Amino acid sequence: MRYHLVAIILHWVIALGILALIVLGLAMTHLALAPLAKFQLYQLHKSIGITVLLAVLLRVLWRLTHRPPPLPAMPPLEKAAARSTHGLLYTLMLVIPLSGWALVSVSPFNLPTVLYGLVLWPHLPLLPDLADKPAVEAVVKFIHSRLAWVLTAVILLHAAAALRHHFILRDGILSRMLPGRPTKEPRS
Amino acid sequence: MKPAALLVALALLSPPALASDWSVDMAKSHLGFSGVQNGAPFQGRFGKWTAEIAFDPAHPEAGQAKVTIDLASATTGDTQRDSALPQAEWFDVKDFPQAIFEATGFTAKGGDAYEAPGTLTIRGIGKAVVLPFTLAVSGDKASAKGHLALVRTGFGVGQGVWATGDWVALEVGVDVDLVATKSGS
Repeated sequence: MRYHLVAIILHWVIALGILALIVLGLAMTHLALAPLAKFQLYQLHKSIGITVLLAVLLRVLWRLTHRPPPLPAMPPLEKAAARSTHGLLYTLMLVIPLSGWALVSVSPFNLPTVLYGLVLWPHLPLLPDLADKPAVEAVVKFIHSRLAWVLTAVILLHAAAALRHHFILRDGILSRMLPGRPTKEPRS
Repeated sequence: MKPAALLVALALLSPPALASDWSVDMAKSHLGFSGVQNGAPFQGRFGKWTAEIAFDPAHPEAGQAKVTIDLASATTGDTQRDSALPQAEWFDVKDFPQAIFEATGFTAKGGDAYEAPGTLTIRGIGKAVVLPFTLAVSGDKASAKGHLALVRTGFGVGQGVWATGDWVALEVGVDVDLVATKSGS
């Protein structure tokens, strides 16, 4: 049994988005770039970040209203590990973009967010009016960047598990999340 | 009180109005500004403004002008920049909706060159500035073009982290391009 096409599309949109966000996030904070290039990377990071947030909200809504295909026969400990990893992924995929949104909203720059240069996106309420914005910004920035590393680690675990199921256990789990090909039946 | 008497009373109460004898053709006139953000130059314009001008080329020293600019009407063609401009860090239109330029006594600099010394007020900060302009009069039509170079922080435009030239240059320009018809006073 394979995931619904909607779930598959959302999964890969989010996956590509997060990959782009990690690369952009590292580039814009660590590379010595010309001011304009750096500025544009930040704007693109914000646009993709909000896109991922919206896609994750849809994904959560879909997950809550649709039963995912059952896990194959697995040791109970691995099932528990899979469930907690997925739970952690969902939590981080909501908390990190929200913290990014908070970061933009509390920034002393008070720079409007315009998604892909087209759609004006509001700040979160209250944060733009705080008295000590630089101090709050520093805390939120710390949370946002550290959680991004945690998410990177959890994604690597998630991908490693998928590859193990596909190439070592050969139970067809990866194919359930791939579009356009018939579901691979378990060999055993 | 009769309506006429009321008008007289109102006229007496209000400050002496400028005897404007030129009516500005808003469709042909342009009030623009320019700046540099992240090293990239940009142009903008004010969509709403008014100008009262009293000027006789034979007596420039008696000339007067008052330009009132609605700062919320500033656009640069970039949604992000245009959304930032009205905010407290920039024009702060909530507290200071208008910028005003008041010039008194123009100076002829020879040929078609003139100078309009006056006071420019933005964000409640008034500064003495001199607007150089060229003037071409033909019949009852006149066109005036001028450019004013300003340092935006002199008027508090760009607060806090924006008060440096790191992202947005401190030097900005205002471009005036007026087309007016003599209306008689």
